[in-house]
Amino acid sequence: MNTHEYQAKDVLKKYHIPIPKYHVVSSLEEAKQALEHLKTAVVKIQVHAGGRGKAGGVKLGKTKEESLGFVKSMLGMHLVNNQTGPEGVIAHKVLLSDAVDIAKEYYLGAIIDREKARGVLIASPEGGMDIEEVAAKYPEKILTLPITLSGKLRNYHLLRLANFMGWKGDTAKEGMAIAQGVAKAFMDCDASLLEINPLVATPQGKLFAVDAKLSIDDNALFRHPEIAKMYDATQVSRNEAEASKHHLSYVSLAGNIGCMVNGAGLAMATMDIIHHYGGKPANFLDVGGSASKEVVAEGCKIILSDPNVKAILVNIFGGIMDCAIIAEGVIAAVSVLSIKVPLVVRLEGTNVENGKRLLKESGLAIISADGMDDAAKKAVEVLKK
Amino acid sequence: MGILIHKETKIITQGISGKAGSFHTEQGMLYGSKYVGGVTPGKGGMKVLGLPVFDTVAEAKMSVDPDASLIFVPAPFAAEAILEAEEAGIALIVCITEGIPIKDMIEVSQVMRTSKTSRLIGPNCPGVITAEECKIGIMPGYIHKKGKIGVVSRSGTLTYEAVWQTTQLGLGQSTCVGIGGDPLNGTHFVDVLKMFEKDPQTEGILLIGEIGGQAEEMAAEWITYHGSKPVAAFIAGSTAPAGRRMGHAGAIVSGGKGTAQGKIEALKKAGATIAATPAEMGIAMKSALGAKR
Repeated sequence: MNTHEYQAKDVLKKYHIPIPKYHVVSSLEEAKQALEHLKTAVVKIQVHAGGRGKAGGVKLGKTKEESLGFVKSMLGMHLVNNQTGPEGVIAHKVLLSDAVDIAKEYYLGAIIDREKARGVLIASPEGGMDIEEVAAKYPEKILTLPITLSGKLRNYHLLRLANFMGWKGDTAKEGMAIAQGVAKAFMDCDASLLEINPLVATPQGKLFAVDAKLSIDDNALFRHPEIAKMYDATQVSRNEAEASKHHLSYVSLAGNIGCMVNGAGLAMATMDIIHHYGGKPANFLDVGGSASKEVVAEGCKIILSDPNVKAILVNIFGGIMDCAIIAEGVIAAVSVLSIKVPLVVRLEGTNVENGKRLLKESGLAIISADGMDDAAKKAVEVLKK
Repeated sequence: MGILIHKETKIITQGISGKAGSFHTEQGMLYGSKYVGGVTPGKGGMKVLGLPVFDTVAEAKMSVDPDASLIFVPAPFAAEAILEAEEAGIALIVCITEGIPIKDMIEVSQVMRTSKTSRLIGPNCPGVITAEECKIGIMPGYIHKKGKIGVVSRSGTLTYEAVWQTTQLGLGQSTCVGIGGDPLNGTHFVDVLKMFEKDPQTEGILLIGEIGGQAEEMAAEWITYHGSKPVAAFIAGSTAPAGRRMGHAGAIVSGGKGTAQGKIEALKKAGATIAATPAEMGIAMKSALGAKR
């Protein structure tokens, strides 16, 4: 689960990480009040996506009037980029924050290292830019330190960090405390990503977390009810939100062939084979390894609510699942929803003969396919007619 | 032969009294596998499917001495179930459970990496099957046929697809191992490749990967230096958009790392035959067997 910048900052505050004073507002009225307490204000849209600056979603207001003008233009701003999916996201909230003088920008983050199977702190004296870009251009400017399961950094790691970042005196003390806070917050919250970018040093050597990003492991939300409350459904595409209610895994894409598949690997492979034959999938949808009749019908409904969908491809490898049940689900969905787009169905696995017979006898306009290859070809072909 | 499990492997199921646990234990028994008991805390002394149920794995170990454990325990408790099985010294632990918090898996991984007694397969996987001998998992038994291909995969249903294709082409399988779709898992491609390399029944290896992580790249490196058997591979997700998670927690391209293209190139360089589409996994395997490495 992703969170907003202001929510990440709320969490970091609890770990005594210094953050410039901020207010989050969702109306001009609130903004006016907030600006009473701020001098020059940085105005930032609150959306679950990066690339805000490029899109004009981050501005510095030198006067109260200028700041209010930015708030006005940013509330309701629609951002579409490669991180948001085709629907984009809307900024319902704007963050107003004290501007700080910047002498230097650093990067501090924490992620899970898959190969080493542990949390790691990532630090770089090159802050303010994309950390992946830094890693590619200047790998020597990145320091990786292990985080213990309880969220601690060893003292000698902290010393290495201070030297690597070039922190001295009080700045070093403060920087080490911030790093320790990041590590602790990361493990405490079951985070999958926690990032301060940039961490800013003022000309006086004070450190501030100017931007923050926090993503939480969905599987661990059950033990963090207070974080689970931060979920913002407006930042997820309507279909993705609907799918997650039914425990379906759905990702909207830019194409026109709706896909319903069981299993994540097979679902990805189905997208790949559609592309291979010159088509474009409208979504990734995994109905799970043991989809029920109702779930299949629900999946159809979600796929069809995307107006770009011009054909549907159902690719099910029954496995333990009885193909007849899948067929019943598809038939139920088709008859209830009066599907007007062509429907290509590929069934394989347990009781496949019965499943195919049911589809045939239903009298519905279902194009049945033998194998993945045939299914993908038919789905692409049917759009050309 | 085959690897990891065979017809004499004695199995218990952790979470045997649950719906999935009892169903798949029964399916495994029908396949001919030797299930000898189960564990459900608080249900010790009961019988499920005629098998004795124990409160703890340690008690099951003392009483029925299993070689393997199949875990269906719900995600919030699954990490503890794995640790319990390891502590009891169960040699093979197969965890089907999906959705275990990654922090729990960090602890499990640290224990499993230094374990002297046990190996973990999964979590979030379909399990392990040695064709026509022993089934520990949720895969449909009938699609498998005893033969010469070792299958190793991060996916579930895509593995069934691959198995089905090799069955239809008459190649059959030795053992199929689903290593799971999570970012942290107990057994990696390289571990399984090493075992297939030593197994006389396995003549060719079919590797099915997906976007995210570096496991396929590491497999490619191992194949380059140590692999003597023909390898065919398919990587799912070449058309998945970067930065967005595709179902499996592990399937995400981030920061230009873990792309399908990078994995395919690494495997190609290692001499593997790449299936251009998921419909050609069996054919790719067949052609790899024909070409000498």
